Amino acid sequence: MNHDDPTLRITRLFTDRRLLAIPMLLMIAIFLYGFVRIGFESFTPKGEFTLDLYTEFLSEPVYVRVLVRTVWVAVVTTCLCLLLGYPVAMLLARSRHRDLLLILLISPWLVSVVVRTFGWMILLGNRGAINLALKDLGLIETPIKMMFNATGVIIGLVHVLVPLMVICVLSVLIQAEKQLEEAATSLGASPVQTFARVIWPLSLPGVYLGASLTLLTSTGAIVTPLLLGGLRDGMLGTQIYQEIFSMFNFPRAAALAIILLVISFLLVLPLLAHESRMRRKRGL
Amino acid sequence: MARGNNLERPLGNAFWLLGAVVLALLPAPLLVVIWVSFSGDNYLIVPPSQYSLRWYAEFFSSAKWLQSLGISVALALVVAIATTAISLFAALAVEKVKPRARAAFEFLVLLPLIFPHAAMAIALRAANTDLKINATFIGLVIAHIILSVPFCYRPIAVNLRKLDPALREAAMSLGGGPAYTLRKVVLPLLRPGIVTSLWFSFIISFDEVNMTVFLVGTQFATLPVNIYAHLADSADPLIAAISTFLIFVTIALVVVLQRTVGLQVFVDMENRVSEKVKPKVKPR
Repeated sequence: MNHDDPTLRITRLFTDRRLLAIPMLLMIAIFLYGFVRIGFESFTPKGEFTLDLYTEFLSEPVYVRVLVRTVWVAVVTTCLCLLLGYPVAMLLARSRHRDLLLILLISPWLVSVVVRTFGWMILLGNRGAINLALKDLGLIETPIKMMFNATGVIIGLVHVLVPLMVICVLSVLIQAEKQLEEAATSLGASPVQTFARVIWPLSLPGVYLGASLTLLTSTGAIVTPLLLGGLRDGMLGTQIYQEIFSMFNFPRAAALAIILLVISFLLVLPLLAHESRMRRKRGL
Repeated sequence: MARGNNLERPLGNAFWLLGAVVLALLPAPLLVVIWVSFSGDNYLIVPPSQYSLRWYAEFFSSAKWLQSLGISVALALVVAIATTAISLFAALAVEKVKPRARAAFEFLVLLPLIFPHAAMAIALRAANTDLKINATFIGLVIAHIILSVPFCYRPIAVNLRKLDPALREAAMSLGGGPAYTLRKVVLPLLRPGIVTSLWFSFIISFDEVNMTVFLVGTQFATLPVNIYAHLADSADPLIAAISTFLIFVTIALVVVLQRTVGLQVFVDMENRVSEKVKPKVKPR
């Protein structure tokens, strides 16, 4: 090694350095290869190119219902997450005890999804804690069905995803200058005006990002709909699970995965594109 | 004061109240799990008719459950170290490349974030099958690395970008070689980014269940996967005891992060590293 020649040293360092990206690129390559592989599998289940798996899927009413239900559950979940998460984000953005309250937000968020779903099973079942309490209070006679249907799945998914939405909105709200809000108020804007004209538009990049991630995660969810929704009224994720573990039909699972991918991209790409445009415009 | 306050104050109050209620309800399903875990009944009923610690005794004396706990911990440790090393290498690799090339590279790194889990599980299952590592420990490690990389690369890369170049120049001009400078100057300054990365990848791997159910064999079932398999069959207080154990592990991890790096990493990962460990930032 020649330590005396600075140009040589720098070139050596430079060429050496970029090679360090190889492990990362290898991981990404495995990931992308998997998608190419299942795309290939879904178009050539018997060795020749065919669209059979897709036409079969789209002409079967049961599957179309699964598709519609997936989109519907994901959209409702996302709207509820925004509705419930936004006030929390505002609360945290202004709180002086933010670090403490963040523990309250983040700890439940990071507990395994399966544990949180279990908690909802105990709460929502026909003999669960909520039905029992309502019965004891004399409010109901027959239990309300909150599990093994879309209601249960949506409740479970909202609980799983609200913290993510809060984090996305909060990170933007913190950036937004607090002075702007004070300025708006001192110039005579009412709280509602301040919210509608200043806070909400400033928070939009976070809202878009949060909504995108919520949509993606809920369309692709597996364990929560399996446990709270049951196998009957499935979503795409549970359908894929069944194709693999009950039907052992890998090509069809692959086709479903591609359909899921396309659907979720159609849902979020406009949001993500808008989000990055807004960020760029603001130089964030 | 501003106009319309009389009308708007109740609206505003309802808004804050909603935020506070949501925040307070987030831990509810977990509290229910903890409550049920102290049941002395043979079956899961609410409210428990008697209380005991028998289910904890059963958990800690069950070879099957302890083995899956061991697998989960080993997996999470390997994933944390591997993901952090890969992310650190990648961040060092692209530090000096042209901004456009770096942006393209970072887009690839963040890519797994926008793929729905059910689709990703099928793709990784296909890739692992072709690599002959399906249902093996190494197959799980690779899947979890791909899942964690988008969360771990950023804190390290941002940390690296914020380092004062003068520190490195000083070390180099005082005769430290590139390797020496990296070890004695750069790595210690990257500590917060590295700690954050280790922590994120550990917890992501330790908790993951949606994709893992597709990728484990019978030999390497992780703790969350075993909980899921058990729940799909029947729910009993034993699962509540194991879940409670997981809840406390997660809370402990959150407290550790709060003490070491601070929870602010969640909300301003993109723009600042952390208040507690501010390296000298040069405005650009």
